[in-house]
Amino acid sequence: MNHTTPTDDDLRVIAEQVWSSYLDLDGASPLIAKPADAPSHEVCASVSVTGAWRGHVVVRCSAAASRNAAAALLGVELDDVTPDDVTDALGELANIIGGNVKSLLPEPCALSLPHVLVHGESGYPQVMEVCGLEATWLDEPVTVSVLESTVVERVG
Amino acid sequence: MHAMVIDDSRAMRLILKRIAGQLGFEVSEAANGKEALDLLAAADNPPELALVDWNMPEMNGLEFVTAVRADPRYRGITLMMVTTEGEQSQIVRALAAGAHEYVIKPFTPDAIVEKLALLGLVPNGAVA
Repeated sequence: MNHTTPTDDDLRVIAEQVWSSYLDLDGASPLIAKPADAPSHEVCASVSVTGAWRGHVVVRCSAAASRNAAAALLGVELDDVTPDDVTDALGELANIIGGNVKSLLPEPCALSLPHVLVHGESGYPQVMEVCGLEATWLDEPVTVSVLESTVVERVG
Repeated sequence: MHAMVIDDSRAMRLILKRIAGQLGFEVSEAANGKEALDLLAAADNPPELALVDWNMPEMNGLEFVTAVRADPRYRGITLMMVTTEGEQSQIVRALAAGAHEYVIKPFTPDAIVEKLALLGLVPNGAVA
């Protein structure tokens, strides 16, 4: 594998694969790579990458999208989705997308366990966005960002 | 046949349990390697198959695979890593530690079935 910086296209392909594998099994409700009319980032799931490349892979979506994702992933009715279901489902989506992004980065790198914030925005100081995806799923906003740390690591 | 699903994500355990269950496996689950080792130690008969995530708290999948391979009681367990760790170097590490197969997330049920058929754990043409 040629390790380069992931591109918007890489991220779109990864996200579409994740959606078609777990959230849109019958192909009826694909992730559409088009910004939603009303962006909303009520739920934020992320994994951090450390090692030869340092940064974060962040999945943000509306509360409605997160509940739909949890229902689809866990196979439960939308009305039965709990906050724990949302945390687990969004964390796993971030983990899978993050793992696939990591395979495009220089080695060696390690992936953290996922971190999920509902109704809160994780702060990512001193980062720059390497690539991103603004998408719509079931008419709800979903964004994925790859953020590279700009902090120079001090040695010694 | 008995399969153990080891993943810290409840959603992923559910997906894998569904696939293994549809293939006729009786399925148990654990949320990390340590919990899985505890279940194995308490089991009368170890499972024939373990589907193992890599990144988990307490004890990760690679550590679990290494521990299982070092214990002759568990010689009969087929170990399949099911993980987001897709780099060639990681696959080599897992296989060197004793994993028999490797599936990268995201996967389709067919990908799991195909690998299990290659391992002789389900018949060719099985459907999940």
